[in-house]
Amino acid sequence: MRKKILLITGWLLITLIPVLVYGQGKTLTGVVFTGNNVPVQGATVAVINSSQTTASDVNGKFTLSIPENAVIVITAIGYKTQTIKISGNLDLHIKLQEDVSKLDEVVVTGLATSVKRKNLANAVAEISANELNGTAPAQTFDEALDGKISGANINANSGAPGGGVSIKLRGVTSIYGNTQPLYVVDGVYLDNSSTSSGLNAVTLAAGGGSPTSNQDNPSSRIADIRAEDIENIEILKGASAAAIYGSKAAGGVIIINTKRGKQGKTNITLSQDIGFLSPIKLLGVRQFNAQTASSLPGDSATLVQQFLNAQSSGQIYDYEKEIYDHTPLTRNTVLSINGGNDKTSFYFSVAQKDEGGLVQRTGYNNTSVRLNLDHKITDNIKIGISSNYINSSSDRGIFGNDNSGTSIGIALSSTPDFAQLHPDANGNYPNNPFAASNPLQTIALMENNESVNRFITGANLEIILQKSNKSNTKFIGRGGIDFYNLQTTALFPSVLQFEAVDKGQSIQGFTKNLNTNYILSLVNTFTPSDKLSLTTSTGFTQETGDYNNLLDVATQVISAQSNVDQAGALNATQLRTKYLNGGIFIQEEANIINAITLTGGLRFDRSSNNGDVSKYYLYPKAGVSWNLTDMGIVKEGLFESIKLRAAYGQANNVPAYGSKFTSLGVSNIAGNPGLLVNSVEGDAAIKPERQAEFETGVDFSLLKGRLGFELTYYNKNINDFLLLTTPPASSGFAQQWINAGNLTNHGVELGANARPVQSKNVVWNTSVNFWLNRSLVTKLVVPPVQLGSVGGVLLGTYQIEQGKSATQIVGLDGQGVGVLGNAEPQFQMNSYNEITFYHKLSLRFLLHWKEGGQNVDVTSLQNVFGGTSADYDNPSKIPHVPYGVYQLMQVGTSAQQTVETSTYLRLREVGLYYLFDKMPLSYIKSISVGVSLNNYLTITKYKGYDPEVSNFGTGFSQGVDIDPYPSSKEAALHVSFHF
Amino acid sequence: MQKIIKIYSIPFLVLILFFTACKKDYGDLNNATIESLLNNASQSELNNLVSGTESGMRNALNFYLDDVSIIGRETYRFSNSEPRYVLDLLGGNGSTLNGSNFYITSPWAARYSVVKNCNILIQAATNSTLITAAQKNGYIGFAQTIKAYQLLQNLNLTYTNGIRVNVVNPNNLGPFVTYSDGLAAISSLLDSAKTAFSNASVSFTLAGFTGFSDAAGLTQFNRALAARVSLYQSNWQTALTDLNESFFGLNSSFNTGVYHVFGTGSGDQLNPVFIPQNQTGEVRVAHPSFAADIAAGDDRINKATLRTTPASLSGLTSDRDVWVYTSSTAPIAIIRNEELILIYAEANIQLNNLSSAVTALNIIRNGHGMANYSGALTQPALITELLAQRRYSLFFEGHRWIDLRRYNLLNTLPIDRSGDQVWTEFPLPVTE
Repeated sequence: MRKKILLITGWLLITLIPVLVYGQGKTLTGVVFTGNNVPVQGATVAVINSSQTTASDVNGKFTLSIPENAVIVITAIGYKTQTIKISGNLDLHIKLQEDVSKLDEVVVTGLATSVKRKNLANAVAEISANELNGTAPAQTFDEALDGKISGANINANSGAPGGGVSIKLRGVTSIYGNTQPLYVVDGVYLDNSSTSSGLNAVTLAAGGGSPTSNQDNPSSRIADIRAEDIENIEILKGASAAAIYGSKAAGGVIIINTKRGKQGKTNITLSQDIGFLSPIKLLGVRQFNAQTASSLPGDSATLVQQFLNAQSSGQIYDYEKEIYDHTPLTRNTVLSINGGNDKTSFYFSVAQKDEGGLVQRTGYNNTSVRLNLDHKITDNIKIGISSNYINSSSDRGIFGNDNSGTSIGIALSSTPDFAQLHPDANGNYPNNPFAASNPLQTIALMENNESVNRFITGANLEIILQKSNKSNTKFIGRGGIDFYNLQTTALFPSVLQFEAVDKGQSIQGFTKNLNTNYILSLVNTFTPSDKLSLTTSTGFTQETGDYNNLLDVATQVISAQSNVDQAGALNATQLRTKYLNGGIFIQEEANIINAITLTGGLRFDRSSNNGDVSKYYLYPKAGVSWNLTDMGIVKEGLFESIKLRAAYGQANNVPAYGSKFTSLGVSNIAGNPGLLVNSVEGDAAIKPERQAEFETGVDFSLLKGRLGFELTYYNKNINDFLLLTTPPASSGFAQQWINAGNLTNHGVELGANARPVQSKNVVWNTSVNFWLNRSLVTKLVVPPVQLGSVGGVLLGTYQIEQGKSATQIVGLDGQGVGVLGNAEPQFQMNSYNEITFYHKLSLRFLLHWKEGGQNVDVTSLQNVFGGTSADYDNPSKIPHVPYGVYQLMQVGTSAQQTVETSTYLRLREVGLYYLFDKMPLSYIKSISVGVSLNNYLTITKYKGYDPEVSNFGTGFSQGVDIDPYPSSKEAALHVSFHF
Repeated sequence: MQKIIKIYSIPFLVLILFFTACKKDYGDLNNATIESLLNNASQSELNNLVSGTESGMRNALNFYLDDVSIIGRETYRFSNSEPRYVLDLLGGNGSTLNGSNFYITSPWAARYSVVKNCNILIQAATNSTLITAAQKNGYIGFAQTIKAYQLLQNLNLTYTNGIRVNVVNPNNLGPFVTYSDGLAAISSLLDSAKTAFSNASVSFTLAGFTGFSDAAGLTQFNRALAARVSLYQSNWQTALTDLNESFFGLNSSFNTGVYHVFGTGSGDQLNPVFIPQNQTGEVRVAHPSFAADIAAGDDRINKATLRTTPASLSGLTSDRDVWVYTSSTAPIAIIRNEELILIYAEANIQLNNLSSAVTALNIIRNGHGMANYSGALTQPALITELLAQRRYSLFFEGHRWIDLRRYNLLNTLPIDRSGDQVWTEFPLPVTE
C-alpha cells in the first residue's frame, strides 16, 4: 500500500497525501532570553520530527503543543541553536547563547538544500534585515545594498530618484554579457533589466539614429522591491557557490528571503518615516567680473554689457544652487501584520513611500502590497505562497551625457552666473544665449517618468514522500512569475528652447515583461549512522523570459498635447526578446562525523540564446569543508571552531538575445520601406561564456565565539568571454559578436565579527570586512578593443587588452596613449556596528571605505569647457595662465585630469533608536523611535558630485561621470508602533 | 532504499525527457536576417533593399559635410558638448586627427554599411529566380553605382591612406588600395553599372531621383558621378565624354540633379545638418572668410545669413549662420547640374578650350547676379576663377577641401589661431 501511494505521488508530484493528524499531547510554555536576560523575540521553537512550531513573542514568551517525550529545538538568528529534551518540566526558562560568528546559521547551498554555516564550503555573505534597512534606510532596495557586501563593487547609475545601481560581485564577470547578479526572491527569478525611456532621441548622447542608448540613465527594475519586507539576504558571489543556478549565475546570485508569518500571537507593526534630502555636494560656480565675462565665447562687448546689466540690477545667480540645492521631504509608511496557527501562518504588508528629488518636478513613489502565506496541508505537505504587487513611479529629469546641449548638467556647464534664465511675468522663459537649452525652462516644462505595475508571485511546495529512521525523501517544487508593465513618458513641449527643429517631442514607451521559472526536485537524506549523512538532490529547472518594448517617438507635437497621435510625425520602434533556458542538475552532499562536508554537483544547461539551442553544456561543482575542532584535531579552548574549506564550480552566462543573428534594420525613405544591414554582425555558432571559480579559505572563531574570522581567497576564470568587437568597419559592420578570449579575477575577502564589549548594560557588536580584486585578460583573439566611455583616449576609455587588467583606463598621457588608471579599487573595507545600551538604546552605523580606483570624470571638465568651473580663475602651474585655461590646454595631449582617483570614506548610515517597551496601554506592546542619517559624511578628494557614480548604465563600463543628477543625503525620523 | 530510488527514478526520467524535448529556437523576432534575403528574394524584398540603400546613404552625412567643410575653412561647427569640432578638425591646441574619433569612424562605417547593403542587393538579385534578367540588371546597376559613390566619399576623406574596394566577405576583406587605384576601381564600377543599365528594366521606386528613376535616368546619374571621378583623375577628355552622357546642360537649371531627400515619415530621417538661424549652443556658422572674400553682388551670400549676435567658441567667431539647407526636410544634393557645368568649365580650361570654359563660367556668374568674367584669359587665372566659383556654388556641399587638395593649394587656406593646422587627409579608422 505504501509503495502504491509513493508511486502515485511520484507520478503526480503534487497530489495530496491523505491527511495524517498526530494526536496532540500536552502544552509547553516558556520564555527565551539572551545571556543578559533580555527577552528574544521571534525565536523559533520546533518539535523534532513533527510539524509543531511556534515563535516567541516580544517578551520572549511562547506556547506549544507537544507530544510525549518530545525533543524541541530553539533557533534564532544570531544565537546558537539549542536542543532540549522535554521531561516533566513544562515551563521552560531558556537562555540562548549569542552566536557572534553565526556558525549555526542555515545557509542555502543547493536549489533545494541548505547546510549550517559551520559546514559550509563557501564564503556566503549575508545581510540581515537590520543591516539592510534598520539603520538609515535608503530610497530603494538596490541602493540599500551599497557598502554592505564584501567582495562587491557597487556604483549608483545616477542620483536621480528611483534607484539604478550596478553591482559587480568579485570583479568583472563579463564584458558584454550580463555583469549583474541574479536576484531570486522567495524562489522567483526577478527581472532586473533597465528600459530606456528613449531620451537619446533628445540628448543624442550616443549619437543620433536610435532613440535609446545605455546613457539614458533608467532605473533598474530590482529597485521595485521593498527592503522592509526582507528578512535576510544571502549572496553567492561566484560560480563555486552558485553553479547550481546555472545559466544566470555567472554574476553571482542574491537570494532574498522575505518575511514569513510566525505561529503565535498576531503582531501588527506600523512604521512611519519622515525625512528630507539635501545634496551631498555641489561643485560651485565661477564668479564672473567684467573682464572674465568678456573672455566667454561671443562678442566681448555684448558680454561685458550683459554682465554689467546683471550686476547693476542684482541679477547674478548661482544656477547650480538654484537647481540642485533643495531639501525635498520624504515619507514612508509601512503596515505589517504577521501571525498564524500551527497550520497556517501569514505575513502581510502594505507600504507607501513618496520622496521628492533635489531637482524640482522629480521624485519617486512606490506602493507595495505583499502577502506571504504558509500552510500545512498535512504533516507531510507544506505549501508556501508569496505574492507582491508593486506600483512605482519615478520622475527622473534629464541628466547625464548629451550631444545636443539639452541635459541640465551640460546646459549649466556653459551658463555663467550673469545669464538671465528666469521667466517673465507671463511665464515665458528666455532662450539661454550660452547654451542650447535653458535649464530652468527644461525643468519646469519637461517630464521623464517611469511608471511600473508589477506582480511577483511564487509558490513553494514540499512533500515528504517517504520517511524512516534512516532515510527521508522529499519532493520540492518551487517557481513563480514576475510580470510587469512599464510605461515611460518623456515629454518635451515645443516651446522648449531646443525644440526649434523637432517642435515638441512626446516619447512614450510601453513595455511588457514576463519571466517565469520553476525548479522541480527530489531530495533524499540518508543517514545510515550518526556519523554519516548523505543528501542527494536531483531535478530540473526552466526559466523563460518574454520582453516586449514598444517605443513611440512623436515629433512636431501639437501644443499642450502629449498623446503620440497629436503630432506631425511619429516614429515607432519595437524590441522583443525571448528566451528559454533549461537545466538538469544532480547534487550530492555528504556530512561525515559532523566535521567534514563534501559536496559534488553537476548541472546541464542549454539556452535558446546559444548558437546551438539543443546542446547541453555541463557545469560541475565540488566543495569540501573540514572542521578541525569538531573533528577533535584542535581541542576547544582558545578556538571555538576552526574550519578549512575549498570549493570549485562553473557557471555560464548565455549570449545576449539576438547575438547569433546578422539582421537588417528598417531604414525608410519618402514612404518607401527600406532594409539596411545592421551594424552588428552576429555569430551563428555563439557559445555561452564559461566561468570557473575556485575558492578556498579558513574560518575560525575564538573566545567562545566572541571573535570570528573568515578569510577567503578566490580565483575566477572566465573563458570564451563575449565581446562585441569592432571589426574593420569596411566589412560593413561596426560591431561583431564573438567569443573573444579569457580573463581571470582573483582576490581576497577578509571578514571579522566581534563583540568587543559585552557588559550587563552595554553590548557592542561589530563586523569588519576587507576585500580586493584584481583582474587580467589572459587571452584576446582580436586587437585591443576600446569601449565604454565618452571621448575615447581624449578623455580616457576602457581598453580590453591581452595581458592587462580588464578594467584598465587608457588615455592620452602627454607622450601618446598610455594606461592612466583602473576602475578596480585597490581595496574596499566596511564596518557595521551596533552598540546597545540598557537593551533599549541602540546606535548603529555603517562605514565604507573605498581606496583607489579611477573614474572618468568628465563632469568637472565639462564646466571648464563651458568656462564656468569654480576654480577657473585660480592660478595654475604656468604663470598668468588661469587654471581653467591650463586645463583646456591639457585636452588633446593628456587625459590625466579626467581619469580621476575616486577614493572615499563614507559614513553611509548611522541610526539611533530607542525602544519604549513599558506601555501604559495594553494594546500597544512597544514603540520604537529613531533618527538616522544616510550618506551624511563623505571624505574624498574627488572633484565630481559623487565618487560613486556610473552614468553609463549597469553594463561593463562603470565610473563614467558626466553631469549626472547629483547624489543626495537623507536625514530621517522613524517611529514604529508594535501592537 | 534501492527500491525507492527506482520507483522515483522512472516517473522522474519520463518527466525529464518530456521537458528536455521542449527546446526552443525563437529566431529573430525583431528583424529580417541576411540569410533569408539571400535565399530567393522576392521583388518586394529586393525593393526594400534598394530603399534601405538609398535611405542609408544619408546616415552620418552630417559628419562628412562637417569634416570636409571645417577643414576646408568653409564653416565652423560650435558645440558645447563636442569640443573636437574646434580642436581636432582645426588642429587647435596641438591636437591632431585621431583614427578612433567619430569624425572619421562614423562616416566611414556608414558608407561601408551601405556598400554592404549594395553587395547584399547584388547577391540577392543574382540568387533570385523570381525576377527577369532585365530587372536583375536594374538592381545590379543601381547597387554598383551607389557602391561606387559611397567608396568615393570615403576615399575623399582618407585620400592617400586609401580604401578597401573588395569587401564582399567580412572575414576576408580585400587589401587597401592607393588613392589612384581607388579612383580607378570606382571608375570601373561605374562603367560596369552603366553596362548593366544598358539592358535593364527598373522595377523599384526611388525617392530623390525625380526625373532619373528609370534606366536612362540612372545612366545619366551614373555618368554625372563618372564625370566627377574623371575630374579627380585629371582625365579631362573622359570627363567631357561622361558629361555628354549625363544630365549636364549649360542652360538647364543649376539644381537639376539627384538628391538625398528627408521626411518626417516613420523610419525616415530629417536633414541632419539643418540648424535654425540664430541658435545658441549648437550652431554651424560660415567661416568669416566666406563673407570677406565674396564678390560684390554675388547672391550666394544668402547661403550664410547674418546672425543677430555673433557666435564664438574657443577663440573662433563668426556672425553668419550656414543657411544652405533651410528646413529640416530640405534635400542635400548628391550631384547637380551646377557642379556639372563647373566640371565642364574645368575640363575645358585644362584642355585649353578657354572660350568654352568662359562661357560656362559666365553662366554660373550670371546665374548668381554677377557680370561676365573680365579677368585674364590664361589657364592659371581661369583656374583661380573656377575654384572661386566652385567655392561659392558648392558651399557646404562637401567640395572645397577636396578641390584645393587637387590643386595643391591647401596652404592658401586661412589659419585662425596660431598653431592651427590644415589637414590633407584623415587617418584610417583604428579598427582597420
